Amino acid sequence: MGELIAQALYSGLLQGGSYALIALGLALVFGTMRIINLAHGELVLLAAYIAYTMESKLGLGPVAAIPVALVVVCVASSTVYLLVSRIREDREINSLILTFGIGVILTNLILLVWSADVRSTSSSWLQEAFVLGPLYSMRSEVLFFGVSLAMMGGLWWWLSRSWYGRAVRAVSSNRDAAKLMGIDPGRTELVSFIVAGVLAAFAGVALFSYGVIQPAYGAALTVKAFIITVLAGVGSIPGVLLGAVLLGVAEALTVTLASSALQELAGMALFLLVLFVMPNGLFGAAGRRG
Amino acid sequence: MNRIAIAALLGAYVLVPLLLGSNNYVMSLIVAALVIGGVALAWALLGNLGGMVSFGHSAFVGVGAYTSALLTLKAGLPVLAGLLAGGIGAAVAALAMLPVLRLRGPYFALAILAYAHIFKILATEWSTVTGGAGGVSNIPSFPVLAGVDFGTKTGAYFIGLTIVTLFAFAYQRIRASHYGIALRAMHGSEDATRVVGVNSTLLKAAMLLVSAFMAGVMGAFNAHYINFLEPDYAFAGLWVTLPIVAAIFGGYRTIAGPLLGAMVVYLVDQLVFKSLIPTGHQLVLGALLVAMIIFSPRGLLPLLRGKKHA
Repeated sequence: MGELIAQALYSGLLQGGSYALIALGLALVFGTMRIINLAHGELVLLAAYIAYTMESKLGLGPVAAIPVALVVVCVASSTVYLLVSRIREDREINSLILTFGIGVILTNLILLVWSADVRSTSSSWLQEAFVLGPLYSMRSEVLFFGVSLAMMGGLWWWLSRSWYGRAVRAVSSNRDAAKLMGIDPGRTELVSFIVAGVLAAFAGVALFSYGVIQPAYGAALTVKAFIITVLAGVGSIPGVLLGAVLLGVAEALTVTLASSALQELAGMALFLLVLFVMPNGLFGAAGRRG
Repeated sequence: MNRIAIAALLGAYVLVPLLLGSNNYVMSLIVAALVIGGVALAWALLGNLGGMVSFGHSAFVGVGAYTSALLTLKAGLPVLAGLLAGGIGAAVAALAMLPVLRLRGPYFALAILAYAHIFKILATEWSTVTGGAGGVSNIPSFPVLAGVDFGTKTGAYFIGLTIVTLFAFAYQRIRASHYGIALRAMHGSEDATRVVGVNSTLLKAAMLLVSAFMAGVMGAFNAHYINFLEPDYAFAGLWVTLPIVAAIFGGYRTIAGPLLGAMVVYLVDQLVFKSLIPTGHQLVLGALLVAMIIFSPRGLLPLLRGKKHA
C-alpha cells in the first residue's frame, strides 16, 4: 500500500507539472485582464493536433512541430484578444460568452479537420518507461515536467525582468496609472495574449507527446486550468505550480484509493471546497473575488 | 410590447405544426427546438433577472430528465406528474448549489459548470438507480387524453408548447412583480440595493431555483418524448451551448427572444449548416455567438426594433 501511495504521489507530481503549463496561459490572461479565456483549452489542443499532423503526415517528432504550433496558436490567441477588445458593454459577462463561442468554433474546427477519433503519439521512445528507484513513469511525463518548469522559469524571468513583462504587471495592477507612465494598455494586453499563446503551444505539443487527445477534450483542459488558477489565487506563478501539483496528486490518489471514474470528481470537489472555504485561493492576494 | 411579441411568437409556434406537421423529420426538429427554447428561457431568466451566466444548466436538464424517467418507470407516477417531479428534482439539485451564489462572474459560471460535471459523473456511477452508462430505456410516452394521443410528435409538441407558454407568462409576472423590479435595480448596484433593504442573495437564490425548475421540466419533457436516457446525452454540453446561443441570438433580456432564437438557430443549424458541414456544423453556432456579442450583445429582437446602441 505504501508503495502504491508513493507511486500515486510521484505520478500526481508529474501530472501536476503538466497541468501547470496548461494553466499558466489562462492564469496570465486572467491576472492581467480579469478575463477567463474559455477557449484556452482549445488553443492547447490545437497545438497538440498540429504535432499529430507533423508526426503522422511528415514523420517528424513533436519538437519539430513547435515552430508551426507557435505561429498558429499565437495568431489564434491574438485573434481572441482582438475580438474580446471589441466588446462594448458588460465586459465581464460578454467576454465569458464570447470566448465560450470561440471555444465552440475551435472544437468544431478540430473535429472537422482531424475527425472525432482519439489520437496519440506513435513514438516508442517517448512512451518508454523511465525508472527512478521504485517509481515508474513514461519518459514523456518526465520531459513534460521539465518543459513545464523551464517555461515557468522563463515566464517568471519575463514578468520580472523584461520591459513588456513589467508593463503587463503594471497594467494589471493599475491600468490608468500605467497609461500615465506611457504604457499602451491595449498593446500590453495583446502581448499577454501572445505569451499565453506561446505557453499554450508548448503545452499542446507536450500534451500530444504524453497522452491521448480528442476534439472534445479542450473544454476539460480549460476547466482544469481554471481550477488551478482558483487554487493558486490570482497573480502567483509558484501558486500555479503548487495548485497544479495539488490537483494532480488529488486525482492520482483518487485513482489509486477509489476508482479512475471518480478522478474528475476529486478535482471538482477540491475546486468547490477552495472556492467556498478560501475564496482568495491558497496563495492569492486578498479581497478580489467579490 | 413584450406581451404582444410573446403572443405573436406563440401564435407562430401554434401555426408551424399545423402547416408542417405532416413531415415527421421537420416535426421532430421543431419539438427539439421547443425543448431548447424552454431551456434557453430558463437560462435567460437567471441571466436577466439574476445577473448570472450559467455554464451548468445541463445539470438541471439531466436531473429533471432522470427524476421523471425513474419515478414514472419504477414508481408508476403518471407522466404529467413526472414533469412536475422533474422540475422539483432539478430545483432540489439547485439547492445544493446555493453556496455558489456567493460567487460572481466567471467564478459563478465555472463553479456551476463543475456541479454539472459532478451530476453527470454521479448519474454514470450510481448505476443501481440510473442504469449507469447503459442508460434508461422504455421511458413512458405522453398518454392519450380525451381521445387525443399525445404520444405522437405533434401531440408532444402541444404539451411542450403549453409548458413553455406557462413559463413565459410566469417569467413575465415575476419580472413585473416588485421582486423583479428589485432584481433589476440590483443590476445597477448590488451594494446600493442591499443598503435600501433588499436581500439580494435570497432573490438570486429564488431565481436560481425557478430557472432550475424550468430547465428540469424541459429535461423531463424531453425524456418522455424520446423515451431513452443516458448520462452522456442527459447531461450533454449541447444543453449548455444551444440554449446560450439561442438566448443570446434572440436577446436574453427579453422573454420572446430565447424562444425565437431557439427556433431560428436550431432549425437553420439542422436544416442548412448540418447538410453543408456534416461534422463540426456547430462551428457556425460559435461564430454566430461571437458575432452577436460584438455587434449586438442584446440580441436580434432589439436590433429588429431599431434600438441599436453603441
